[in-house]
Amino acid sequence: MQREVGTLPLAPALRARLAAAGFQTAQELLDTGPCGLSKEIGISREEALEVLQVVRQECHGDAARTAGGSGAARRCTALELLEEEQTQGFIITFCSALDNILGGGVQLTKITEICGAPGVGKTQLCMQLAVDVQIPECFGGVAGEAVFIDTEGSFMVDRVVDIAAACVQHCHLIAEAQQEEDHRKALETFSLENILSHIYYFRCRDYIELLAQVYLLPEFLSEHSKVRLVVIDGIAFPFRHDFEDLSLRTRLLNGLAQQLIIIANDHKSAVVLTNQMTTRIGQSQSTLVPALGESWGHAATVRLIFHWDNSQRLATLYKSPSQKESTIAYHITSHGFRDVQPPAVTQSAGGTGMNPRKRPRTEEEKQ
Amino acid sequence: MVVLRAGLCPGLTEDMIQLLRANGIRTVVDFVSSDLEDVAQKCSLSYKALVAVRRVLLAQFSAFPANGADLYEELKSSTAILPTGSPSLDQLLDSGLYTGEVTELMGAPGSGKTQVCLGIAASVSLGLKQHVLFLDSTGGFTASRLYQMLQAQTEDEEEQARQVLGRLRLCFVPQLEALQRVQVVHVFSIYELLSALQELRDHLSQEVVSSMGPLKMVVLDSVSAVIYPLLGGRQSEGLALMMQLSRELKTLAREFSLAVVVTNQVTRDSSTGPLKPALGRSWSFVPSTRVLLEGKEATWEKATTQRLASLSKSPRQPTGIQVELDIG
Repeated sequence: MQREVGTLPLAPALRARLAAAGFQTAQELLDTGPCGLSKEIGISREEALEVLQVVRQECHGDAARTAGGSGAARRCTALELLEEEQTQGFIITFCSALDNILGGGVQLTKITEICGAPGVGKTQLCMQLAVDVQIPECFGGVAGEAVFIDTEGSFMVDRVVDIAAACVQHCHLIAEAQQEEDHRKALETFSLENILSHIYYFRCRDYIELLAQVYLLPEFLSEHSKVRLVVIDGIAFPFRHDFEDLSLRTRLLNGLAQQLIIIANDHKSAVVLTNQMTTRIGQSQSTLVPALGESWGHAATVRLIFHWDNSQRLATLYKSPSQKESTIAYHITSHGFRDVQPPAVTQSAGGTGMNPRKRPRTEEEKQ
Repeated sequence: MVVLRAGLCPGLTEDMIQLLRANGIRTVVDFVSSDLEDVAQKCSLSYKALVAVRRVLLAQFSAFPANGADLYEELKSSTAILPTGSPSLDQLLDSGLYTGEVTELMGAPGSGKTQVCLGIAASVSLGLKQHVLFLDSTGGFTASRLYQMLQAQTEDEEEQARQVLGRLRLCFVPQLEALQRVQVVHVFSIYELLSALQELRDHLSQEVVSSMGPLKMVVLDSVSAVIYPLLGGRQSEGLALMMQLSRELKTLAREFSLAVVVTNQVTRDSSTGPLKPALGRSWSFVPSTRVLLEGKEATWEKATTQRLASLSKSPRQPTGIQVELDIG
């Protein structure tokens, strides 16, 4: 109960007054009582009561945790985390090379950032992920819903229709090849209308709307608990112009990043952000680097950089806590995000050993 | 600046306090530094009582000087040096992480700070069988990567054991035991972090040996993620909270003989300036040792697991030493 007054979540002016009056620990505040407190500091009795309530909440929270109670939401051993991670699913991207370098796909409970020059395919991947998160579990997906926050206006519904139609067709072919009961049942609900109705779309025009939307997101997510993906397409756009005070921008961006990681952790969803590229002019050469500055680079847990090599699109995993850095090539077709070549077919002995996402090439297709 | 309150020490009653306050004596400092005869006359209190109160207050609130030799003996018996699991990093840090001190790792995104922290946690929990508290504020802690590192370390040990003893080791999965010794707490805001540190302090001072065990190391990854949302703009309470946090970390390290490792970001003054550690000059006085991690190539096109670690602040070694690390 020896919590110092400076560590309690109170307003700064109030903290300054408490320090000037000589209060040092939370216990002293509780001993003084609301009347004594309002007299000493010169605040109204209601404010003093509020302050004491906050103090009591914090101290009781500490005491409950010290006694071994389950008050703390986020404390566990690494072993428990390992078990959780092993049962967690990934959101696949339909490009198996990209899934491989990411360790299975886009991870839940982490922030993934996609940076790239204009036209390289960031929004395409976001739309693909918004469809892929809804794939039922028997096909290897996470069966969740998606929230799409658009700041640039680049979300094209007809393109999402194409991608969703291709995804549904892919699942139909797998179900036909494997002929299992739960596949057929899942396919009844996995239709085009269903996919589109489970993508929640928000349009934010400037940084204030974006910040407000992100801070209001926890309430929305607690009502729609099946959401497993939050996409913010274009986090750089609202912050790159009209900011005179750069330290304010850093502060807002970092607050945004912390809020996003809290959302990702509490609701077990993946957060995907897209960022633009800017030129850094060095002594002898200029390089393309992700926008929004050095401190923003630490916000994302996983960073992917998309770039061109002549006319081939490449994706580089630049930062990841568990995978090595590597580069792969990908392709954008009319069906969406795909590999450059079709994945190699490995015919295993029994149908159960096969990856449910990959369908074998059958005789009918060749004809 | 403690205000005089009834019950602060025996002999200090409410009436005395009211009389003293009426004469302008509010805090302990005022009382102790005033002329007691004068006060006794003005407040019509007994001189003996005031002297007794002053003695008790001085005993309670002053700091006592310690002998240098005693300090040295105490340091020798309570300080431990924890190996980090990477011989080149140990060489940089003068044989390892010293308990009782705060060590900082800084670097650009992707330079390997979280990997080095995981490596240190693996080495301490597996090799020394000590408990580690990992405070994660960025969501970068991946248990499967820690497990991978533990397996890699056990393989080395098993190789040596096999060569020396000439027989197979018993397999009681030491990696899973080591994983149980690493406690992970997700702290995503400064108040949560301060709560977690307070909880740690309560645990350690009550010597609750339930799940904590013999704790020797606290890793905070990263400190700038929780402090950056408070700095900048026109508000100034961020600096106060940052200093509060630094005081907590340093007193925890000193009082309970823990090794505290924090990771920090680097930033630039302008888009072409050199890299410098984040959080400014005020924070630069907090850690006693600072290590900068850099990738070896300037562009992001070549994939490599080699990193360069250089010492930028140390109480024991000359700065500017560089070693190569492999975080793969």
